[in-house]
Amino acid sequence: MKNYQWLIRREFWENKAIWIMPAVLGALLVLTSLFGTVTGDIHVAGNGAASGIPLLLSGKVLLLSVSSIFFMLMSIYSTWYLLDSLYADRKDRSVLFWKSLPITDTEVVLSKLLTALVVIPMVYWVAANLTALLVAFIVAVRAGAAIGSTLWHLDLWLQIEILWIYVIITAAIWYLPVAAWLMLVSAWAKRAVLLWSALPLMAVLLVERWFFGSQIIAHLLLSRTFTGFLPAIFASRGDPTDTLVNSPGPIWSVLDLAGFVSSPAAWIGVLVGIALLYGAIQMRLRRIE
Amino acid sequence: MTVLIEAQELTKRYGSHLALDHVNFKVETGRIVGLIGPNGAGKTSAMRAILGLSSYAGHLRVLNQDPQRDRANIMRDTCFMADVDVLPSWLRVDQAIDFYAGVHPRFRRDRALAFLAKTAITYAHRVRELSKGMKTQLHLALTMAIDAKLLILDEPTLGLDLLARRSFYDALVNDYMDETRTILLTTHQVEEVENLLTDVMFLAQGKIVLNAPLEELATRYVTVAVSPDALVAARAERPFYEQRAMGKTILYFDQPDLSKLTLLGELRTPSVSDLFVAKLSGTTV
Repeated sequence: MKNYQWLIRREFWENKAIWIMPAVLGALLVLTSLFGTVTGDIHVAGNGAASGIPLLLSGKVLLLSVSSIFFMLMSIYSTWYLLDSLYADRKDRSVLFWKSLPITDTEVVLSKLLTALVVIPMVYWVAANLTALLVAFIVAVRAGAAIGSTLWHLDLWLQIEILWIYVIITAAIWYLPVAAWLMLVSAWAKRAVLLWSALPLMAVLLVERWFFGSQIIAHLLLSRTFTGFLPAIFASRGDPTDTLVNSPGPIWSVLDLAGFVSSPAAWIGVLVGIALLYGAIQMRLRRIE
Repeated sequence: MTVLIEAQELTKRYGSHLALDHVNFKVETGRIVGLIGPNGAGKTSAMRAILGLSSYAGHLRVLNQDPQRDRANIMRDTCFMADVDVLPSWLRVDQAIDFYAGVHPRFRRDRALAFLAKTAITYAHRVRELSKGMKTQLHLALTMAIDAKLLILDEPTLGLDLLARRSFYDALVNDYMDETRTILLTTHQVEEVENLLTDVMFLAQGKIVLNAPLEELATRYVTVAVSPDALVAARAERPFYEQRAMGKTILYFDQPDLSKLTLLGELRTPSVSDLFVAKLSGTTV
């Protein structure tokens, strides 16, 4: 356990972008809310209040928007982080330094996976919260009491926190095979990790299309990487964003952790993820250049 | 005496190329063994197998463990330094010390700090800001602060200037080595380490050409410098290598009849580097 603690600390030392990127994004959002003309998010919030939509909604939209922007940046960064995770030290040969320490390759691989799927999301969660607080305060002051009153509801903030926790847990499960695949490529490729992460998959897609005329794998991959996550984690069908924003009850009424965890898509993904992860560890054991 | 490293029929193959060709050797406690060979001889392959960094065929035990399976465990008692450029460039000196102290059960922080105090390195330095010599000092400080049984050095002074190389080996002998420790090092700068070693192992084309304690070399190998008129008689004693020098020919013998050779010319014990050249230049005359 002590090794994991130090290995994760090491990830922060090496990858300063883990906290710099969300800090910069937060600063940008705060600046926008300070100096932006009253359009965009603020405009939506104002309009909502004016056009008779329940007042709470505009606050909800604002907070959800802030969280979504952070989540999107995080997805992009985490992909890059994972692709680099077992490649960077082979590239600069420092892998020889790390391997001279009494730390197993399993510990190294798992610490990086843990960083990507749990630690980085928690950093972004904190950053999103701090940003939301500042932005809400600024919007409340600039746009007047009506909108301000839609923001300062403890239960609304609580809902956003619950949503974050739910998304962190479900995303870790849903994206495990994707993360494990990126790490396998990162442990294996001698160069061009980004290219190698996509090429074999593209090849499989083309083979399927040419020889079988079907696109099952293409849909599977697309669903696993981009389109599938939100539908998978929200109980109700239909547009998840719409569900989230317009559901009459609190946000947690549309969350369904038990349903998600017991869905075949979730646990088949976990099994594939574990297999790929095993591959990444084996590759890490053998490959140092 | 305990055997720390034991290799039997150790073989490493890259495609059709045999980097290590059924090699047998042992390293015992308290020795300083030099693994010496030209580039591509298999030194690095041997090191990597011993350190659990690569796969291999044959039998290999390091500290009585299987290096491929138990690398992390072996590294509790083993230190490894490759040439200078393996320290991660983003690492700060205080981070390096904290990390070692955190993950290495045998790391003594006070010893590392004492060693660093003798250098110009500060805790705020990042590795990328250090000169090659300073990087080596930092790595050495980290390494020597560990109570390790086995120290493995792979071309540790590659790219260092003469002064840095000298101070590296001085520190190694004076501050590190004692009878409980063992060092295995590879180098192709033989002259630099020959006064340091207790054993030499010559490696060429994946095979061990010579493996002997230094004392044995002195009793076994002899060179004779003969003038041209005595050359035929000297060759009859079957030298394994000849070398011309200033009008004379220096002949290398392995366990010769010394009573005959003394009549032919001046007897000498070859230096390790001379022997290295002789052994690796081919065994036939």
